[in-house]
Amino acid sequence: MKPEYHKKLQIAARQTILIHRADTLIRIILRTIVTSLKVKHAGIFIYDKVKDEYVVKVSRGHAGLRVPAGFAKIKKDSPLARYFTDKSINLPKEHILWSKITSRIKYYKTKKDVKIKRFLEALKFELSLYEAKACIPGFFRKDLVGILFLGEKKNKKSFGEEELRFLSVLASDVVMALKNAWLIEDLSRQIDINKRLLFQTVAALASSIEAKDKYTIGHTERVANYCLAIAYALKKREKIEGWEKFLENLKIAALFHDIGKIGIPESILNKEVALNEEEKKIIQSHPLIGANILNHIEEFRQALEGVKYHHEKHDGSGYPYHLKGRKIPLIASIIALADTFDAMITDRPYRKGMPQDKAIEEIRKVRGVQFAPHVVDAFLKIYHSKGKLWELNKQAGRHLLFARENIF
Amino acid sequence: MAIEKKKVLIVDDEIEIVDFLSRFLQRLGITAIKANSGEEALKKYNELHPDFIFLDIQMPDKDGLTILKEIKKIDDSVKIIMITGKDDEELQAKAKKYGALDYITKPLDLGELSIKIDDYIL
Repeated sequence: MKPEYHKKLQIAARQTILIHRADTLIRIILRTIVTSLKVKHAGIFIYDKVKDEYVVKVSRGHAGLRVPAGFAKIKKDSPLARYFTDKSINLPKEHILWSKITSRIKYYKTKKDVKIKRFLEALKFELSLYEAKACIPGFFRKDLVGILFLGEKKNKKSFGEEELRFLSVLASDVVMALKNAWLIEDLSRQIDINKRLLFQTVAALASSIEAKDKYTIGHTERVANYCLAIAYALKKREKIEGWEKFLENLKIAALFHDIGKIGIPESILNKEVALNEEEKKIIQSHPLIGANILNHIEEFRQALEGVKYHHEKHDGSGYPYHLKGRKIPLIASIIALADTFDAMITDRPYRKGMPQDKAIEEIRKVRGVQFAPHVVDAFLKIYHSKGKLWELNKQAGRHLLFARENIF
Repeated sequence: MAIEKKKVLIVDDEIEIVDFLSRFLQRLGITAIKANSGEEALKKYNELHPDFIFLDIQMPDKDGLTILKEIKKIDDSVKIIMITGKDDEELQAKAKKYGALDYITKPLDLGELSIKIDDYIL
């Protein structure tokens, strides 16, 4: 092999490792082909799993026929695909050369050869549509995954053995990149499914607390929805570190914020008169009980903080640690506000819920005292732009938890 | 009419597609006129009176169906093939209703396209 190709191959191999995006790699490979083989154009058909056909995904070269990406396709039973996949076509499968097809057509003369001759004529017609002078298949095991096609060389010479070998190596690089990309696609789809399942499980578990504390029915779900609304509003105003992860943790923490109440006797939870000091202490242990439950899930450290500190207050008068100001994690500050707001507007064993407007006013009054100022500001912003949060909640219902940003 | 005299207007907001199709047609001996927007399509149509039009449905300035209606109002005999990325039956029915000859969805099978050109234009 010529040293020049050797070098190109090394570069291509390195790129396969470095570049995870299949389309980027394929573009680079086609550019390499166009520049080093000096062809007028080059393109690639890639197998489309959904449609079960081969689509031109990338095509390069200014001098030749450049097929716009995604514009043209060949069917699985087209002559070009069949040449490589149909075992009854007994011709060399490592590549197709226009010149060889043309001479073969001339060579077949007897009646016996009519079938293959017709096939080759159809193939030649298909090649002419793409102005292709050479085609190289890319196989993964027995599956045809892609087909490289090349236009004429600028000097009009034919393709040499070395060049065809070089192309075969590049074709197998393309296959590898595609296979990796498809694998990653499948994996991330699987991860999405798992995540949905996780959130649904968390939601189901969280609602188990509602069976015990009858006044909190729907509370966790609503709090989670308010939390998300606040978080999206905050993100528009300030940078939130590790946003995606933050959002996931917030969802989980919001749903689990009261999970610790599982460890509190029902007699205290559902008491219709004011609690005594002893009972208050017991109730106030629920953030820590909740944190202990979540302690087992390594993945959600941040969510644990949300549960643990959701009763802390901005001025340090909260519980259990009397944390102050920015010492309180953002995730907990958001839950604290959402939790209080929902508690204010809904009926409790010992009092009626207040009108929403009044609750908003109360919250405004304790901005910077009970709640972090920036969280209150974000909250008020949603209230002013979206109208009643209660309505927002009713409309979106439990789907909000899995919804995207555009709802807010 | 001889093939060489036939004029085909190609309308698409993607320049690459217009270039590709015009090269494809020129190889068959057909004169291709290019337009990259709805407005340009109407202008070129009025100036050059093509016999045949490839018309993209989704364009930013004026959508293909509107242009289809406008041109058909001027001259009902013009043959128009709609091209779209959407495989949408409703859109297809609309195009037929407004008088489109055919409706093809990207990605196209170039073999089939050349048969259609044979049937419709040549």
